[in-house]
Amino acid sequence: MTRKQGNLLFRFKSIRSTMIFFFTMIIAVALIVFLIISIRYTQENIMENSKYYTMQLIEQVNGDIDSYMDYMENISRLISKNKDVIDYLYDETATKEELDQIKTRVISQFQTISDARDDIYNIAVLSDNGRNVINDGKDQLNPYADIKQSEWYVKARQSNGIAVLSSSHVQNAIKDDYKWVVTLSCGIQNPNTGTIEGVLFVDLNYSAINNLCEGISMGSKGYVFIIDSQGRIVYHPRQTLLYSGLKSEKVEEALNGKQTNFTTVEGENSKLYTVYTSEKTGWTVVGVAYLSELMTGREETQLAYLITALFLIIISGIIAIILSSEISKPLKELANSMKAVQEGHFEHAEIEILEQNEIGMLSNSFNIMTQKIKELMEQIVREQRAKRKSELKALQSQINPHFLYNTLDSIIWMSESGKNQEVVLMTSSLAKLLRQSISNEDEIVSIYSEIGYTKSYLTIQKMRYKNKLEFEIDIKEDILNESIVKLVLQPLVENAIYHGIKYKEDGKGFIRIMGERVENDIVICIEDNGKGMDKEALNHIFDKKENKKSGGVGVNNVNNRLKLYYGSRYGLRFRSQVDVGTMVEVRIPVSSEEDSHYEKY
Amino acid sequence: MRNTKKLITWMIWLLAFILIVFLLTRCNAKDNKTVKIVYVSKVLDDNNAFWFSLIEGTEIAAKEYGVELTILAPDSESDYEKQNDMIANAIALKPDAILLSPADNEKTLPAAKKIKEAGIKLILIDSQMAEPIEDALIATDNIEAGKKVGQLVNHLIKENSKIAVVSHVQGTSTAIAREVGLRIALGEDEKRIVDVVFSDSEYDKAYQVTKELLQVHPDVDIIAGLNEYSAIGAARAVRDLKLTDSIKLIGFDSSVEEIQLLESGVFDGIVVQKAFNMGYIGLETAIKILRGEEVATNIDSGSNIVRKDDIYTEENQKLLFPFR
Repeated sequence: MTRKQGNLLFRFKSIRSTMIFFFTMIIAVALIVFLIISIRYTQENIMENSKYYTMQLIEQVNGDIDSYMDYMENISRLISKNKDVIDYLYDETATKEELDQIKTRVISQFQTISDARDDIYNIAVLSDNGRNVINDGKDQLNPYADIKQSEWYVKARQSNGIAVLSSSHVQNAIKDDYKWVVTLSCGIQNPNTGTIEGVLFVDLNYSAINNLCEGISMGSKGYVFIIDSQGRIVYHPRQTLLYSGLKSEKVEEALNGKQTNFTTVEGENSKLYTVYTSEKTGWTVVGVAYLSELMTGREETQLAYLITALFLIIISGIIAIILSSEISKPLKELANSMKAVQEGHFEHAEIEILEQNEIGMLSNSFNIMTQKIKELMEQIVREQRAKRKSELKALQSQINPHFLYNTLDSIIWMSESGKNQEVVLMTSSLAKLLRQSISNEDEIVSIYSEIGYTKSYLTIQKMRYKNKLEFEIDIKEDILNESIVKLVLQPLVENAIYHGIKYKEDGKGFIRIMGERVENDIVICIEDNGKGMDKEALNHIFDKKENKKSGGVGVNNVNNRLKLYYGSRYGLRFRSQVDVGTMVEVRIPVSSEEDSHYEKY
Repeated sequence: MRNTKKLITWMIWLLAFILIVFLLTRCNAKDNKTVKIVYVSKVLDDNNAFWFSLIEGTEIAAKEYGVELTILAPDSESDYEKQNDMIANAIALKPDAILLSPADNEKTLPAAKKIKEAGIKLILIDSQMAEPIEDALIATDNIEAGKKVGQLVNHLIKENSKIAVVSHVQGTSTAIAREVGLRIALGEDEKRIVDVVFSDSEYDKAYQVTKELLQVHPDVDIIAGLNEYSAIGAARAVRDLKLTDSIKLIGFDSSVEEIQLLESGVFDGIVVQKAFNMGYIGLETAIKILRGEEVATNIDSGSNIVRKDDIYTEENQKLLFPFR
C-alpha cells in the first residue's frame, strides 16, 4: 500500500491532531501579532503621556520658581525703596545717634524678614560711602574680599534698580563665612543724586529651591535641576558630585531649546530630559526621568499581556482538543466500523447517527451499504449451502454398481446350487439395502437405520465371502435414535473389506462396529483386522482419488460430507497398523437444535 | 476520550508551571543583599576640611550605590596603634571591603595584612604602605602635589631665600612623597631648604615647631606646609610672630582658616587635593572590585594650585568650598 507523503512537518496520524495543531497555531499566531502590536502601541502611548506629563510638571516647577523669585524681588524692592534703608545709607546730615537709631530699625526689619523666611541666608545693604547693614548688624564684611569684582555686585550696579539673579556661587562678602548661595541683588538709588550708589543683596540658600524641585515626582530615580543661561549649574540634587567633576550633566543639550524633550540612550539608564526655560529668570529647569521608571508599567504590562496570551493559547488548545475530538469522533467511529466490516464483523457495524451533518449522511450511507453487503453475503452463504446440498445428494446417490452385479451373481449362483435359505437371506438383505438407498430421500437418517443398512450390506458380503468374513455390531441403545448423515458407515465398511480384509493373507476377516456417546459427541468406531496401512498410506488416505473401479464412495467423500454437514471439528479419524488392522472413528455431534439449523439450508 | 483528558491535564500543568515560574522570578528580583563597607580613616576632625570632605565623599558614594558604610577613625592622625585596633574591629564586622587610610607606612602593615587574610577587599585611600598588598589605591599623586608646592615656592625664591618645610607625620607615604616632589621641583634650589620639621598633624605642634625653627633659622623667608595642620600651624606662628611681611608661606589643602589666610595674603598659594573625589572614587572602586569589574589599581585623584587671585574662579570655588 503506498501512501501519499505529505509535508514532513505537518504530517499527523489523525485528523484530530491536525486540527488541534492548526487551530492552536492560528490562534497563537494571531495572539502574538496582537501582542506585539499592543505592546508597541502601549509603549508609544506611555512615552507620549510621559512626555506630556513631565512637560507639565517642569512648567509647574518653572512657574513656582518664577513666583518664588517674584516674591524675593518684591522683598528686595521693598527694602531698596525703604525710607529707613535709604536714609541710613545716604543721609549725610543725620547725626551719629540718628543714624544708629535708623540702623536699629533697618536691622529689625531685616530680622523680621529673615525670621519669616529660612531660605534667606544673608540680607545686606552696602553703600559706596562705607555704610552698610548686614543681617543682624553683627556680621562684618570680609576685609580681604573684593566684593566690587563679584558678578552679583557688578550686575546690580548696572541694572538700574532692577533686581538681578546670580547663579550659584560662594558668597565671600561676609567675614568667616563661605557659603554656596544664589544672590538676588539690586542697586539702591541715592535720592539726593539720583544715581545708584549702593547695593542690596539677598542671599538665598537652597532650601526653597530644593523644596520646589524635590517636590516634583519624577519617579524614584528621576530629578530636576536648574542651569543658568550660561549653562552653569544653579541647582542640582547631586551638586556636590557635579562640582567635584565626578558626575556630569547634559547641560549643552538642555541649553539648546526653550521647551523641548530629548532622550538619551544609555541602556538601562536611558533618560527623558524635559527642558523649560524661564523668560523671567533666564534659568532653565530640566526634568530628568528614567525611561525604565516611566516604563515601569511596561514590564508588568508586557508580562500581563504575555501571561494572558499564554493562558489564551492554552485555553484555545483545550478548546481545540475538545472541538476536534467532537468533530473527529464520528469520523473515528466510522473508521473503526469500517475496519470491523473489513474484518468481516457485521454484527457491530451499525453506527448510531447523532447529527444530521455531512458525517451523519456519510454514516447513514455507510449503514445502508453495510446492510446491503450483509444481505448479499448471507445470500451467498445460502446459495453456497444449497449448492453443497445438491452436491451431497449426488454423492450419496452413488451406489457401487459392481456390488450390485456381484450380489446378483451370487444370488444366481446360490439358487443354481439350491441354497434356498441363503438366497432368501441375501435377496432380502439386498432388498433392504436398495430400499434404503433409493427410496429414502432424506439426507439424514437415524443411526438405527444407518446401522441396519450397514448390517444388510455386511450380511451380503459375509455370504459372498463365506467363511472369510465375520462381523459384530455393538451400538449403545441410547444413540440409536440419534441422527446421522446418510451413507457414512457403509462406505467405511466397504473400504475396510476391499482395502483391508480382502488382502488379508491368513485367518478370518473381522469387522467390529461400536457406537457410543462421548460427552456431546457420538463416536462410532469401525475396526477391522485387515492388512492395515503404513504411515505413508495413512497420510494420503484423504487424497481425492476415487476408486473408479469399485465405483464406491471414497473415504474422502465421507469425510467431506461430515465436515460440510457438522463442521470442521467432526469427521473421520484413522488409526492403522500394518498387518494388525485399521480403525476408523466417525465423530458427529449429538443431534440437537443445531440439526434443525442445518436443516434450514 | 482518555487521550483528550490527558492533553488537557498536560495543558493545565503547563499553565501552573508558568504561573509558578512567574511568581518565583518576581520574588527573586527583590532579594538583594546590601554590600557592607568599612572605612578606617586617619582622623575624625570636623575642622579639617580635607578629612571631612574625604569622609563626605565616601558617604555620598555609599548613598549613591546603596551601600552600608561604617566609618572608624582615631582622634589623631599619628595614632597608628588606635588605628590598628580599629582595623581589627573593622575585620570583626565582616564587611565586603575595607577602605583604609593607613596612618603609618610600616606600622599599619601587619594590621592591614589581616584584612587580606580575612578575605576582605582592601582599598587604600590617601596613603600607601611599605608593601603593596592593597587591591587598589586611590590617592593624590603626592610627588606631583609636592612638585606643585615646589612650583609655588619657586615663585617666591629671591637671592638669599632660605626655605623651611613643615611636614606632617614622619614615615607616612604622603609626607615622604610630597617632600620628594618638592625637592624635585626646586632642583638646584633644593639646598636652600634649611630644615624639615614634623607637626604630627597637630596645629599646636606645628605652631610650636615653626616657632622653634624660626628661632634656630631666623633667615628663613619661605615656609612650605605639607598638609593642612602643618600649614595652618606654621601660618599661625608666623602671624603671631608678626613676620607676615617677611615670610611667605605655601599651604596645603584647604579649610576656612586656610582660605582666609590665603585671601589675606599670608599664604602665597596653596595646593589643594581633591579629597571629596578621593573618598568618592575610593568607595566606587571598592564596589567595582566587589562586582568583579576591571579597575585601575592606582588612581590619582589629582591636586590643584590655588593662588590668591583665583580663589573665586568657577572651578576653584567648587574645589575649595564643597557644596553642601
